Amino acid sequence: MITRLPRLTSKLKRSLLTLLLLLAANSSIADEINFVMWKPDHPEVWDRILSDFERQTGVKVRVEIGPNSSTAAHALVSQKLKNADPDLDVFMMDVIWPSEFVSANWIESLYLFFPPQDQADFFPAAISACTIEGKIYGVPFETSGGLLFYRKDLLDKYGFGPPATWDQLVEEAEYIVSREQSHNPALRGYCGQFKQYEGLVCNMQEFLLGNRGKLFDDVERKSTIGFPANLHAVRYVRDKIIGKVASRGVLTYEEPESLHVFIQGHAVFLRDWPYAWEIANNPRESSIAGKVDIAVIPHFTAGDSASTLGGWQFALSTFSRKKTLAWQFIRYMTSPSVQKTFALETSQRPSRRSVYNDPEVLSGNPHFAQLREAFEKARPRPAIPLYPLYSSIQQRFYQAAIVYPDSSLEALAAEADREIDRLLKLMSEGKP
Amino acid sequence: MRTPYYGADRVIGYLFFLPLLIVLLIFSFIPIAYSFFLSLYQIVLGLPRLGENFVGLANYEKLLEDPAALNSLEVTIIFVCFSTVLEVCVGLLMAVAINESFRGRGMVRAAILIPWALPTVVASQLWRFAFNDQYGIVNYVCFGPDIAHYKAWLADPFSALIAIMLADVWKTSSFAGLIILAGLQTIPDELYEAARVDGANAFQRFLFITLPLLKPSILLALIFRTMDAFRVFDLVFVMTQGGPADATNVLQFYGYKKLFDEGMVGIGSAVSVMVFILVLSVSIFYLNLVGTTLLKKKETLL
Repeated sequence: MITRLPRLTSKLKRSLLTLLLLLAANSSIADEINFVMWKPDHPEVWDRILSDFERQTGVKVRVEIGPNSSTAAHALVSQKLKNADPDLDVFMMDVIWPSEFVSANWIESLYLFFPPQDQADFFPAAISACTIEGKIYGVPFETSGGLLFYRKDLLDKYGFGPPATWDQLVEEAEYIVSREQSHNPALRGYCGQFKQYEGLVCNMQEFLLGNRGKLFDDVERKSTIGFPANLHAVRYVRDKIIGKVASRGVLTYEEPESLHVFIQGHAVFLRDWPYAWEIANNPRESSIAGKVDIAVIPHFTAGDSASTLGGWQFALSTFSRKKTLAWQFIRYMTSPSVQKTFALETSQRPSRRSVYNDPEVLSGNPHFAQLREAFEKARPRPAIPLYPLYSSIQQRFYQAAIVYPDSSLEALAAEADREIDRLLKLMSEGKP
Repeated sequence: MRTPYYGADRVIGYLFFLPLLIVLLIFSFIPIAYSFFLSLYQIVLGLPRLGENFVGLANYEKLLEDPAALNSLEVTIIFVCFSTVLEVCVGLLMAVAINESFRGRGMVRAAILIPWALPTVVASQLWRFAFNDQYGIVNYVCFGPDIAHYKAWLADPFSALIAIMLADVWKTSSFAGLIILAGLQTIPDELYEAARVDGANAFQRFLFITLPLLKPSILLALIFRTMDAFRVFDLVFVMTQGGPADATNVLQFYGYKKLFDEGMVGIGSAVSVMVFILVLSVSIFYLNLVGTTLLKKKETLL
């Protein structure tokens, strides 16, 4: 019995040793980074670009595909970061995450890698969304923003151009609907997303900021929903948009429902994100393919157009052990040439402004000219660490204001401001 | 009379009891206790540096001061009252109907059970489409093909809440019906024959025989439906997401958003505990009611 023991141990030792060697070999592939992203629409393009990168640099990229919805992706990534997972190096970050991730100390500042002169080519709004207290924490990869889609055929028919102001939009919409109603009774003037969810905040911000409104005072760290310019815009939405040029149904619409109304030919104007372009112009899905054009979001006479910024950025985890390699990867993916490849082959909206001027890109995607104009005017949502909670308070305010025609906007706004200021107080306690 | 167990019987008794105990412990007591424990702390997922501070009952105080939470409580109570009463009434009608023998009774029984057998999420999607303002069947039934008059049912606070209640009634009345049917089948035919001899008409027979003898099963159906209705979530999640303007923001959905979207673990847990306490007190109330009626019934039989 005793003689058998050493034999067994040596066997065990040997296998343990092999295992250790294997593990060591695995982790000693210093040239491997882990990257979390959503499921790409064009995996073959991604595969080619990633293998190009691997060939050029010898760095292997292990891709983990996360969920497609931003909320679910947030849950996955924040779980990994909370656990200080060293096997997460680079990930895709939504524009509303940086503030939270920075305050939790989860993402690395990139100021050494990504100085201001390199930031100049990117859309200012996207850079500002990635900049927290003066430091940059992400590199924009794909830029997005709210756009005004319109029925070019109908506007041309009645001699209108794309509306610059909300008043013009209402006027054009009312005129066109009154003339078209006899043969298209379902036609309404405007369509957007006003259900109680994040999209409501995006839609309403465009009205408020387009009236020189202001949601949040960064200097005083105070919520300013109750500002008269804001309330004027909210009142306008309630009295002139909901149930007037837009059906009351928009109070139940997210993006798919509103786009559905538009591609059925039941709306003159639609506020939506860039992805709607391909669908609205696809004859198999849309009854108005080829009759659609894009403009920047309208504004009020006193203000300027303010499209709500969306999009994805690369971020670098604080817990990564391969930050230099990870940066190499980020720089490659956001380089002008890779951005151009994505634009040409997947119609992805680049984050670099110079790509929009590329004649090859423009001839493949003529609508990019309007996109660039809209994204130049994009404005990020306020950078607040507890963004989801902040957004809930706003959603509650907007819906109470626009669902009930006789609610007191001043009282509702004061209540929302109070709640947000309480939230800010909680956050200041959470600082180190 | 209960006879006490000794020796081996006692051990076997405990052995039989053990699996239930373990399941209850793992799936009920521990989660409830843990929720209660969490509800005493201030934990904010988005602010890890805040730490986990013991705050006593402060989360409950915050809930009682939060107008949105109070609104959710109100919405939930309205929902529970109207939907359970309607469900039991519709269930009673169903039970009485399918208790009679007629041609195709099997078919009707099966048809009545279909809504209950459907997963709630599927049924909720179905109702969301039904109430759609562009292509919903509800609009088609009300206004025909004239789309210009179609109403956005889920955009109006009042009709949205009604829509959720209707969907719940459609979905769960058959469950109440099944329980009441079981009660109906225990009523002996002799009672009806005797009543007929005494000259009671159909309505009188229903009012003075069926209904009183059904009381325990009706109460049972009420208990189950009330407890379930307090925990309504999927219908709201799919159909309205709590909107418009919080008109359908029931407690469970409010708590879900607090916990999972907003990362307020302490307050979210406090909401769960509140719902638990509400359901518990309602069931204790009902059980007392049933207990006394059952006792009375036994006494009269003796």
